[in-house]
Amino acid sequence: MWQQVELALKESAHRALVTLANFLPGILALLLAVLILTLLGALFAAMLRRLLVSLRFDERLALNTIVPVTDWAPSHSPTLLVTRGVFWGCVILGCIIGIIAFDSAYSGNFQMSSLLLPYFTHSVGAIIIFILGNLIARFLSRSVLIGAVNQNLQYARFLSLGVKWMVLVITAAMVLDHLQIGGTIVDLSFGILFGGIVLTLSLAVGLGSREIVSRSLEKNVDSLDSMPPETQYRPSASEKLRHF
Amino acid sequence: MASSPTNAAAFEAEPTPLPGALLVNLAPLAPEDLEPALSNIALAFPTQAVFVALPEAPNVSVQTSFNTLKLLPYPPGTTSSTSPVLTAADFLNTWKLAQENNAAACLLLGTESNSLQPDSIRALASAALGADLTVARYQLGPTEGLVNSAILYPVTRSLYGTRPRFPLPLDLGFSLSMAERLAAAALRLTSGNQDDAFVWPVAEAAVASYACTEVEIPTRTFPQPPAPDLNTVLSQVAGSLFADIEAKAVFWQRMRSPSPVRSITPTPASFENLPDVAPMLDTFHLAYNNLQELWSLVLPPQSLLGIKHLSLMQAGEFRMPDSLWARIVYDFALAYRLRTINRGHLLGALTPLYLAWVASHLTLIRKGTAPEQHIEELAQVFETDKPYLVSRWRWPDRFNP
Repeated sequence: MWQQVELALKESAHRALVTLANFLPGILALLLAVLILTLLGALFAAMLRRLLVSLRFDERLALNTIVPVTDWAPSHSPTLLVTRGVFWGCVILGCIIGIIAFDSAYSGNFQMSSLLLPYFTHSVGAIIIFILGNLIARFLSRSVLIGAVNQNLQYARFLSLGVKWMVLVITAAMVLDHLQIGGTIVDLSFGILFGGIVLTLSLAVGLGSREIVSRSLEKNVDSLDSMPPETQYRPSASEKLRHF
Repeated sequence: MASSPTNAAAFEAEPTPLPGALLVNLAPLAPEDLEPALSNIALAFPTQAVFVALPEAPNVSVQTSFNTLKLLPYPPGTTSSTSPVLTAADFLNTWKLAQENNAAACLLLGTESNSLQPDSIRALASAALGADLTVARYQLGPTEGLVNSAILYPVTRSLYGTRPRFPLPLDLGFSLSMAERLAAAALRLTSGNQDDAFVWPVAEAAVASYACTEVEIPTRTFPQPPAPDLNTVLSQVAGSLFADIEAKAVFWQRMRSPSPVRSITPTPASFENLPDVAPMLDTFHLAYNNLQELWSLVLPPQSLLGIKHLSLMQAGEFRMPDSLWARIVYDFALAYRLRTINRGHLLGALTPLYLAWVASHLTLIRKGTAPEQHIEELAQVFETDKPYLVSRWRWPDRFNP
C-alpha cells in the first residue's frame, strides 16, 4: 500500500513540476512582454513629449478653441495628457501581447487566453470608465458649485454634492455592469440610488426655494402695483453699478 | 449735409488741416446713429479729406451729404458685431484699409461712437499723428468701469510701465507702423479662430517700445456687453488679459522701470447714490463658505488668512487691503498660466473676490476717499508687488508662505 501511496505522490509531484515547468515560460513571456512594451512606451512618450514641446503644442491648442482638451486636463498640459495616453496604451498593448504569449507558451489543454483576454479588455474598459467618471464628476461638481455661488444660491454646496454623487453612482453602475458583476442587483440598486438622489435634490431645492419663489412673486406683484409710469421710472441706486 | 449735426454748437472754431491722410474706422452702429457719427467726423475735419471705413454701405443720401468724407464700406462679415470692445477683426480691417488708402494715421472708434464730440475726435487724430498709439481717457463715475479700475489698469501699469488709465479703450488712434503691429497681433488671434478675442494695444505698444499717449474724452456713452451676468464678462476680460500676460512674459519680466506717477486731483464722490454693498458681501461670504477648497489650490496661506480676516469684518468697516487684492490677482494670473485648475473654474472663483474688492472700494468712497486716489494707490501697490509675481512666475514650485 505504501508503494502505491509513494507512487501516487511521485506521480502528482511530477505532474505538478511538469505543469510548473510549462507554466513558468508563459509567465516569463507575459512579464517580458509587459516590461518591454512599458520601456518602449516610456521611450515613445519621452520622444513625443520633446516633439510636442518643440512644436509648442500647448500654445497652439490653447489658441484653437474648437478642441477644448485643456478643460479635461485640469492640472496638466495637453502635451502631458497625450504622452501619458501613449505610455499607458503601450502598457495595455504589452499586457495583451503577454497574455497571448502566455497562452501559446502554456501547452496545457486549458485555453486561458479565451477567458483572460475578454476579461482583461473589460477590466481596462472599466478602469477607463472609472477614471472618466471621476473626472466628469469633479468637473461638473465644481462647475455647479461656482455657478451656484455666483448666482448667490445658499444651497450651492448641496447642489454640487448632489451632482457629484449622481455622476459617481452612474459611473459605479457602469463599471460593475462592464465587469459583469452583480447582474440585476446592480440595475436595481442603481435605479433605487439614482431615484433617491434625484428625489432628495428635488425636495431639498423645492422646499428650500419655496420662500425665494414666494418672495419673488410678492415682489413682482408689489412692483406692478407701485411702479410709476414709464416716463417717470428711474433705475434704483443698486442698479447703477457698471463693472465694465 | 446731415440733417442733425448734434455737436455743431460745441465746435465752432475752424481748425487747420492735419498733415497726412487719415482713416477713421467705425465699429458697427445702429442705422439711426450713423448719420450723427458721420456728422461729428465731418465737423471735426471740415477742411480735410478723411477716409471713413464702415462695416455696412450707408444709404445714398448719407453718402452724398458729407463732401469731405470718403466712405469705404467693407463687408460686415469681416467685423465683430457681438462685442462692444474692439476685437481682433476690427484691427485687421483697419490695417488693410489703411494700407490700401495710404493713410498716415488711423482712428478706430468703438461702438456708440456717435456720442463722441468733434473736438474729441480731432484731439485723438492730432495725437495719433504725433505718437504711435493714442488711447482715450474717459471721465467715469465712481461706480463705472470697475473691472478696469480693479484689474486692467493696475496690472497693465505695473507689468508694462505704461500710464494709460484705460488699457482696453473703446476709441484709439495709431500710426501706420502701430497699425501693422496691432494687425499682426490680431492675425495671431484670428488664425486661431478667435475673431472676437481682445487685442491689448497698450501692452503691444510697450513691447514694441512705441510712444503711447492719452487724450481726454470728456463725454461719451458706453455700450453694455451683451453677456447678461458679471461672471461671463469678468471671465472674458480677465481671461484675455491673463492670456496676454502669459504671451508677453519674456518682456514684462525684464521691464523694471515703473511708470511715472500720475498727477490727479482728488475729488471725493457723492456717496448718496452709491449702491448697497450688502449683496456683494453676501456673495463673498457665501463663496468663503463654499469655495475655500478651490481658493486654497490657487492662493498661498497668507492670502487665505487675509480672506479669512475679511470674512469676519462688519459691513460698515469692510476693507480689503490693496496688497491682498494685488496678490490675489497675481496668483490667479499665475494659476491661469499653470492651469492649476480648469481655467473656466478659476475665473469663476475670482468673481466673488472681485465683488469683495468692489464692496471695499465703495465703502472707502462712502467714507470720503476720492475714487481716483484709491485707484492710484492701488496701482502703486501693484507696482511695488511686481517682484512677487516675477518670482512666482519663474519658480512656481518654490515654498510660498
